[in-house]
Amino acid sequence: MTLLAVDNLSVTLATNDGPARAVRDLTFSLEKGETLGIVGESGCGKSMTALALMGLLPERSETNGTIALNGQNLLTKSEGEMCRIRGNNMAMIFQEPMTSLNPVHTVGRQIMEPLRLHKGLSKSAAAVETVALLDRVGIPNPKERLHNYPHQLSGGQRQRVMIAIALSCAPDILIADEPTTALDVTIQDQILDLIQGLVHEEGMALILISHDLGVISENAETVMVMYGGTAVESGKTDRIFDELSHPYTQGLFAAMPKLGMGRDARLVTIPGTVPDLVNLPSGCTFTDRCPLATAQCRETIPPQHHLNDRHAVACHNLDKARFMKPGELYT
Amino acid sequence: MSDTNSASLLNRCRRSRSFVVGGIMTGFLLVCALVSLVWTPGSAYDIEIGSRFLPPSADHWLGTDQFGRDIVSMLMTGTQNSIVVAVVAVSIGLIIGVNLGLLASARRGWTEEVIMRFSDFSFAFPAILSAIMLTAILGPGGVNSILAIGLYNIPVFARLTRGSANAIWAREFVMAARAAGKGKLRITFEHILPNILSIIIVQATILFAIAILAEAALSYLGLGTQPPHPSWGRMLNEAQALMFLDPMQAIYPGLTIAIAVFGLNLLGDGFRDVLDPRLSRKR
Repeated sequence: MTLLAVDNLSVTLATNDGPARAVRDLTFSLEKGETLGIVGESGCGKSMTALALMGLLPERSETNGTIALNGQNLLTKSEGEMCRIRGNNMAMIFQEPMTSLNPVHTVGRQIMEPLRLHKGLSKSAAAVETVALLDRVGIPNPKERLHNYPHQLSGGQRQRVMIAIALSCAPDILIADEPTTALDVTIQDQILDLIQGLVHEEGMALILISHDLGVISENAETVMVMYGGTAVESGKTDRIFDELSHPYTQGLFAAMPKLGMGRDARLVTIPGTVPDLVNLPSGCTFTDRCPLATAQCRETIPPQHHLNDRHAVACHNLDKARFMKPGELYT
Repeated sequence: MSDTNSASLLNRCRRSRSFVVGGIMTGFLLVCALVSLVWTPGSAYDIEIGSRFLPPSADHWLGTDQFGRDIVSMLMTGTQNSIVVAVVAVSIGLIIGVNLGLLASARRGWTEEVIMRFSDFSFAFPAILSAIMLTAILGPGGVNSILAIGLYNIPVFARLTRGSANAIWAREFVMAARAAGKGKLRITFEHILPNILSIIIVQATILFAIAILAEAALSYLGLGTQPPHPSWGRMLNEAQALMFLDPMQAIYPGLTIAIAVFGLNLLGDGFRDVLDPRLSRKR
């Protein structure tokens, strides 16, 4: 059975300007042990998708569709049932390790809590387990660190603690929402390697959210490129990166700095900004920024074209886009 | 690790002048109240017409009043009364108000609206007026004045708690706690309350001073502590008629009330310095 099957997921947030469609008709699935990368720029619905999976969306929001974990629809579960699933079957690592730990409790206590909550361990058993976890995430002197407060740890160490908390109950799915964005480049690699290693050891599935194509290409087997709250391209990472089909995916590629560009060369950008989620265009959301946009793009939502069994692209001008290079589309 | 933490806390206590001075003043009153339980220099209750209006002496440190009662003893016994009223009244407000505030903050929606509009409503009436109204309905007396002051404290604590708790609920570590599967009740007591405790302690200390003042006011109006139990407010009331005959009788209880209120306010400031160094540096 598929571990996670998301079908036609839509999230609408109530804002002062009206309903904002943060996620639209999103469909994807995740198998045990698989790593899915979600990539896209800020405001494209990546984090909202993650929060929807966890059932942690803001109170004034509406979720439609189905999120099936092991065949059970999470959207019909009560808050109490969701509490037993969160941390236990699904865990999440956040972007900001500096603020994701409670400053008034020791890190030991914060790792022990989910263990005692979900596994029903005694205080001493949880303490033993916590030392082992801290050791596994690569924190030196775990026995002493147990009694430290978050402010006594560095950013990288705090993110390691967050990973330890997320892994404590051996969840089926780990969601990492830009886990390295707030860290030094040197630490980024270590943290990603750590997450990858642990995910492999435990046989967990990983959803890695990032705006860094490099991070995604190195760590994810499948990729979903999101724009304007929906998936514009998805499939196996190598295929997508080889074929570069959707104009937006090509734009993301074109925007990456390249080695040997010369110091005076300007970085390539995709013109314009992400669409206003309250007043979404009726057709393809990328129309206003797309170099290939036509009248059809403006009016009708592009269907998902399946290039082969696991590579889907939503674009009206796919034939044209596929035979162009990022450098030709964006200059 | 915890050793260094408690050591630095102690250091900060010592360095905060308001904490030290406020603590000494409050401590002095507390000692007076405790001592008066077992010993007073004279009698706060026995009426001796023969020794009325005595000037200060070795027997009567601050002299006697119009009934020949020892003023020091009355002040000391009155301290007990003020402290009991203030402790109970603040506790009523603290326990009910903080829980209501936490509930409003955790549930949001209509629960929050009801609790907050209700406290807005109670703020529309001046505290002393509602206290007079309540004692008028229930009858004057120590217990009822405690109740009146305590009821007034509930919305103060509820608003403060809800406001600070809302700020904590928006913090990322609360989201992380929810992602770890903790329910709202658990988050409230494990994450929200510990983070707003210092604000509540400071507020409680300041409301303690206000409660002492309110008790004195109600007793002054004859609605609080009833004779023959000594109370600072009633001493002021009784001294009022003798203002030109023996002004010191009004000055002593007045000074005592001032010391209590000033000391507690300083202590509140000191608590803020000690518990939340970031707040005090901003001033």
